[in-house]
Order: sequence, then C-alpha cells, then structure tokens
Amino acid sequence: MFRTSCRIAWASLVRRSSRSILVVVMIAMSLWGLLFMEGIYDGMTEQMINNAIRSDSGQISLFAAGYRDDPDLSRMINQDREISSLFDGDRRVKSYVRRLRQDGLAATAHYSRNVMIYGVDLAAEKRHGRLDGYLLKGEYGFGAKERGVIIGARLAEKLKVKIGKKLIVSAQNSEHEVSAVALTITGIVRTNNMAMDESAVFIDMGKARELFMTPAGVSQICVILHAEKDIAAVQNTLRRHFGTLQILRWDELYPALMQSRVMMEGFNLVTSLLVFGVAGLGIFGVMLVSVLERLREFGIMLAIGTSIAQIRGIIFTESFILGFTGYVAGSLLGGATLLYYYHNGLDLTIFSEGLEEFGMDVITYAVIRAQYFSTAFIAVMLATFVSVLFPLHLLKKANPIEAINRV
Amino acid sequence: MDFPFLDVKKISKIFHPGRDVQVQALVDISLTFSRGEFVVIYGPSGSGKTTLLNIMGGLDSPTAGDVLLDGERITGVEEKFLSRLRRDHIGFVFQAYNLIPVLTARENIEYVMQLQGRSRGECDRRTREVAEKLAIADLLDKLPGELSGGQQQRVAVARAVASRPKLILADEPTANLDSKSAEGLMDMMQALNEDEGITIIFSSHDPLVIGKAKHSILLKDGEVAADEFPG
Repeated sequence: MFRTSCRIAWASLVRRSSRSILVVVMIAMSLWGLLFMEGIYDGMTEQMINNAIRSDSGQISLFAAGYRDDPDLSRMINQDREISSLFDGDRRVKSYVRRLRQDGLAATAHYSRNVMIYGVDLAAEKRHGRLDGYLLKGEYGFGAKERGVIIGARLAEKLKVKIGKKLIVSAQNSEHEVSAVALTITGIVRTNNMAMDESAVFIDMGKARELFMTPAGVSQICVILHAEKDIAAVQNTLRRHFGTLQILRWDELYPALMQSRVMMEGFNLVTSLLVFGVAGLGIFGVMLVSVLERLREFGIMLAIGTSIAQIRGIIFTESFILGFTGYVAGSLLGGATLLYYYHNGLDLTIFSEGLEEFGMDVITYAVIRAQYFSTAFIAVMLATFVSVLFPLHLLKKANPIEAINRV
Repeated sequence: MDFPFLDVKKISKIFHPGRDVQVQALVDISLTFSRGEFVVIYGPSGSGKTTLLNIMGGLDSPTAGDVLLDGERITGVEEKFLSRLRRDHIGFVFQAYNLIPVLTARENIEYVMQLQGRSRGECDRRTREVAEKLAIADLLDKLPGELSGGQQQRVAVARAVASRPKLILADEPTANLDSKSAEGLMDMMQALNEDEGITIIFSSHDPLVIGKAKHSILLKDGEVAADEFPG
C-alpha cells in the first residue's frame, strides 16, 4: 500500500506538473536567496571580527593588572620571556606578538591628532596577523635605521600626509617626561578596524623603547590559536600560570563585535522565518487547490475502503516530495553560490564608503556552515507539514458521497 | 440462529437541501436479502435507489432504521468501522466508473487488495483471474483515460470483485454504456455472481438489464412498491 500511496502522490504531482514545478522553484529560489544572505552576512561579521583579531587583540590578549583602566607605562608585563616559552611549547598556539603601547600625539606642521603608538616587530606582526596584508601605500618596513612609521589610513587623511612626509610622534615616557621623535611615513595601512585606522601609529620596537624609556617588558601580548574552540582552555591555562595578569578573549575586549555576531544570528533566524513563511504559504495554496479539486477522487477512495489516515499519508507524501525537491534544488544552488563567494569574495566597492564607516571590507568572503542547510531543511519540512494541515482538515469533514457527487 | 444476509429494517432518509426545506428520499423501507442473490432495485429517477444503495453500503446514514449485514449492525457505527467494512466486505460499482485516474487498470483492480494487505503474488493472481473473466486482461497496463466507457466499467467491476467481498452494490452500472456493452457487462456480473457466490445488488431503470435479475424490487417515491422473484 505504501508503494501505491507514493505512486498516487507522485502521479498527482506529475499530472499537475506546471503547478508542482512552480512550488519547487519557489522553495528553491527562497532557499537560494536565504543561504546567500546568511553566508554573506555572516561573512561580513566574521571579517570584522577577524580584522580586529588580526590587527589588534588576537584571540587572547594579555595585559598587566590594571593596565586597561589606567594604561600607564609602569604597568608592564615583565614575565614576557616566560610567557613566550609557554607559547613556544603549546601546540594550540599558532602565533603571538609582543607590543609596547602608549597614548601619544602625532603632528605635522599643520595638524595634530591623538594617537596610539605601537612598538612592534614587523616580521612577527606579519606572521601573526598579516599586518602586511593591510598595506595600502608605501612599504611594509621602517626604512633605514628604523626611522620609519606606518600609520592608519584614516589618520593619514586627517593629518593630510602621504608617504615620505615627516611626522613628529610624542608621548609621555616612563619618567613622566614628554619624549618626541621625528619619523618618516613609510607605509599606510587600512585594517578596517576603525579604531586602528584612525589612531594607530606603528614604530619599531627598539625605537619605541627609546621613546618610552622602557628597556624591558611589554604592554600587551596577543595570541592567535590554531582552533577557535581552544580559546577558553588556553585562557584558563594562562590564568593558572599568570594569575596577576589580565587575560582577556577578543569577545571580552570587543563585546560590540560579539553582539554583532549574536545580532546577525537573530537576523538570519528572522529572515529564515520570513522566507519559509512565504514558501509555506505558496505550498499551502497549491496543496489546498490540489486537495479541493481532488475531493471527488478522495471520495471514491474513501468509498472503496481507504481510511482517512491513508489519504492523509498520500497528501503528506505529495507535500514532502515538493518540499524536499525544492530543498535539494535550493541547497545545490545556494551551496554552489556560497562556494563561489567563499573563494572569490563579493565585490561591494560601490558601497565602499558606507562599509568602511562600519569597519567592513569592500570584498566580503562568504561563510559556509552546515547549520545553514540543517536549519533550512527543518524549516522547509515544517513549512510543508504545516501547509497541508488545513486542507486535511477540510478533507476530514468531507462525506464520501458528497465528495463523489461534486462536479 | 438463522438471519438474513442483508437485513434492511424500517429505513427512512430525509435530506435537508436548504433551510426549512426537507426531502423524504426513503420512507420506512424494510427488505431482506439472502447470500448469493442477484438483485435489481428499479424505479423512476428520484425514487430513492441510489440513496438506498448508499445506506446499505455504509456510505450514508439513515435518518431512522437499521441495516444489518451478516447479523452485524452497520448503521450508527464509527467511520473507522465503516471504512474497514467497505474495504473487506463490500464492493462498489458506480455509474460514472470512478476509477482512480492516475493508476493503471491493474493498479485500480489491485487497490483494495493492497488496502487489505494481501501479498504481491496474491494480488497478481487474483487480478489476472478477474481480468480474464471480464475480458480485460490485455488492458491492464492502460490508464483509465485510455479506455472506453465499457472497458472502464469492467475495470470498476473487477476492482469491486477482486477483493472477494460478501456484497457488491452497483449503482446504475450500465447507465453510461451502449446497449451491447450493457448487456455484456450484465452477463459478466451474472457469471461472477454464479461462480463466486457474491451477493450483487444493482440499481437500474433499463428494462433489458432489469430482466436479468432473479430478485427485483420496485421503488416509487421512496417506498417499496413491489418485491418480486420473477421466474
């Protein structure tokens, strides 16, 4: 009987092929659009997070106790060698960098801005967060005698400077005196991390030690791991070994970014509900018409001994075939599209001004997650199930003789 | 205890086609039928033939009265019981054939047997057997839309007979057939009645067809006007 029921369901769909194709296409298109949006929006969010991790905080940042409340040069991480040894021996750690940081001032003859001065090792930064990948103009280096400086793109705009121009960088040193140094702009970076692009000034670590008069210790150590799932565990390990330090994950340093991620998940859920609500209405319309125009046929089947449950099974089978076929088609289209944009990125240059305001890259790479497809499957199946409940209710109320005598 | 095979006891049926409008289709009808009979219910249009057949087959419920099939009451019972009854014990042949259009002739004939859960082999054998008797063995793989009226009606009869019901109810089975096809179909149904011992009750207003029955019942205005066993 199962085979016959499937045969009846399949034959009914084929008999009304244009209508069936319409529903399948509707589901497939809805799913395609939804998967694309989910992948791109999540891609945007993940890119923002990655930019922040790569350019600034890493996945875990270490500071001396009280540094974040009062970022003074007296609050330094002095155990940086021990920490380095620990990282070198931990296979979970992919890379780490040590930085000196201090608030300061960058000035030209005509303009000046408050900045964050970073004393860095450019080679280490390249291995760690690929800072070189953000280079917009100039070279990734500090030039002869390390007298160069790399600044953020927005800062360069505000100061109206370009490559080769002189910049006076000054800050309070460890003896609470103002120190200054004249440097030549060798590079301009755009990290799409707004704070960095507006205020970051990168100088050689040695030059920073001279400027700040801090021969030892660092202000910040940033870590990137091989696997995101190890973040909490590594954080706990560090806290056990170095309990006096402030050890924070990226989401603790950038709660707004975490909120963006959560918001995007909520947005995707709402979009899914809307899209599948619409698809469900489409299936409902088709199945309702299909049941109503076949009431006579169902009346005959009831008259010759078919139970309501068996007819219900036929209708559910039809609805399932429509939904599943649409799901497969939509998943294939959506998956292929996401795969393309995963590798090639989506060029949103026409929206560059707006995107840069929010710290987003103009080329967004899609994210592909298994949960997109599993959630979509559940949503499609729910939509197909719910959409036939009312037509089935009508069928249950039908009397076989009245149904057979319908014209 | 000896009881009739089919016992219709004081059946009345009132329809309410509109508010404050009622139509009495059947008035206090009492009839008995023995196992293996070949019966015709005849009368003018609107006499209540179809209504009576529907009630006897559990497709409709009477306003008053009872129907007992093989000693078991089939009126005022749950739809699930009626569904099983129609599946296992009663076969229907409708005036408009009423085959399932998306299934082939073979699949239509096998349909009720599959509802009964019979094996593939049994369905095949029985389908062949009834198809031979009804001269439709070469039409089994065709869809109803590819068959003539007479062929479709024979497939409908085959579907009704194949599941070995106790009772077949046929509502004007020859109404849409030409006279030659009608006579041929009635001869085949008579043969099935004699070979398989199935009780067949059909309605008609065709004198040629009526003459083939051994037990005839005349309905007029919802009442039994005559109940005879001609020849």
